Amino acid sequence: MGDTSQTARADRHRLLVETLAATVRPVRPLWPVRTRLTLWLLLEAVVLLRVATHTGNNFMSKLGHLNYALEVALFAGAAALAAMMALRAAIPGRRVSPREAAVAVVLMLIGTTLVMAGAPVRVGYPLGEFLHVGFGCALETCVLAALPWGALWWAVKRGAPMRGAGSGGLIGAAAMLFSFALMRINCAIDEPLHIVTWHLMPALAVTAFSAAAGAVWLRFRPRPRPL
Amino acid sequence: MAGVSLKLSFHATGLPLVAASGAPCCPYTPEAAVAPPWKDAAAMTYGSVARMKNVDDARRLERVRMRAHLMQRLQQGDPDACRLLLDDIGPAITRFLRTRVAIDEVEDVYQEVFMALFQARHTYEAGRPLEPWLFAIARNVAADHSRRRWARAGWEELTADLPDRAEGDSPIPSPDIEALLTRLPPAQREAFAMLKLDGMTLEAAAGRAGVSVGALKVRAHRAYKALRKLINGEGG
Repeated sequence: MGDTSQTARADRHRLLVETLAATVRPVRPLWPVRTRLTLWLLLEAVVLLRVATHTGNNFMSKLGHLNYALEVALFAGAAALAAMMALRAAIPGRRVSPREAAVAVVLMLIGTTLVMAGAPVRVGYPLGEFLHVGFGCALETCVLAALPWGALWWAVKRGAPMRGAGSGGLIGAAAMLFSFALMRINCAIDEPLHIVTWHLMPALAVTAFSAAAGAVWLRFRPRPRPL
Repeated sequence: MAGVSLKLSFHATGLPLVAASGAPCCPYTPEAAVAPPWKDAAAMTYGSVARMKNVDDARRLERVRMRAHLMQRLQQGDPDACRLLLDDIGPAITRFLRTRVAIDEVEDVYQEVFMALFQARHTYEAGRPLEPWLFAIARNVAADHSRRRWARAGWEELTADLPDRAEGDSPIPSPDIEALLTRLPPAQREAFAMLKLDGMTLEAAAGRAGVSVGALKVRAHRAYKALRKLINGEGG
């Protein structure tokens, strides 16, 4: 009885192996994480160039202020870290390092603190103005992130992400944090309430949305077995 | 399998990683899935435990290299490498799955793992050990399977107390309404037939019977009560 089942199991294994061997084709392995990250950063650099050449904000003079330069650098750094983690998480067996994740969060928190400390919080905004200007900024934050988000999503999807929500969240965080940094260059308003409400909050919201989308569409699901 | 040109070095332990003929280095057998790797006669003759450990480590290292090499060949579309690799990892996958899924489901999940490995083969990074990649995929498939199993178990529990027959499939034969109606007083029978069988409105039925709407309602109500009593009496 035992021998029969073992033989049957071995036969099924042989059939499975032969089926797979018969359909094997050359595949193009994924490029290394470093290469893909560099390409993604190049794409972000193109977006940055576009923003820098089309903005009415005199950001060059602001970059002389340490706080401002640090804000931009910290958010861009956190975004690059998130992108690296997203690309790495798409390779089975390679996990997101908690230390790297912690560094990205710390960078973001320091950046947010600098934003809050950079200028006094103005209250008593005319609501209409606050909303009108704010919606435009929120929209721009999303628009600037759209192309890098799509490119990173595609790069991660080409791998085999095991945790869809995590990968989706990292993709969203990478694209939106970089977009936040770009908006510090693009937007002339340095008022903390405006920045947090209309730049940072949309970034966090889209990150959450990206995580939810990742849970549904990004997770690696093999096709059904052949036998 | 003829014409395989895999030239892999062999370790001093004599483990036949890949035979010159191209025969599988570790053909899949269920016994191999449970046999501990240190039960190797060649290794036992070396004597000291420390030496045995060194031999074991070296053998493991050699196997890691061999698997990585086969995986690269598989990425290049080599069917022989595919066979050799899948034969080699079969026992390890089985051992891994036995600790994670129900014993009667190992076979199904085993096939799913192989499919997943095959479909994700482009994500393996050359030069890295295969095992973390391999077991990450196997763990993912096993977890998916467990999730599906739990979801299915929930449904099974919900439907466990279903009656033997479907709702429309009544075990009691439908009562013969025509026969029962003959046992009602004529006025009640007429009221019931006009309202329920002919589908007339209250006003129209009352007009045809020559009574008020209220009086027809009373007749119909009495007819329902009498029919219920008759049906229950017959059914019981």
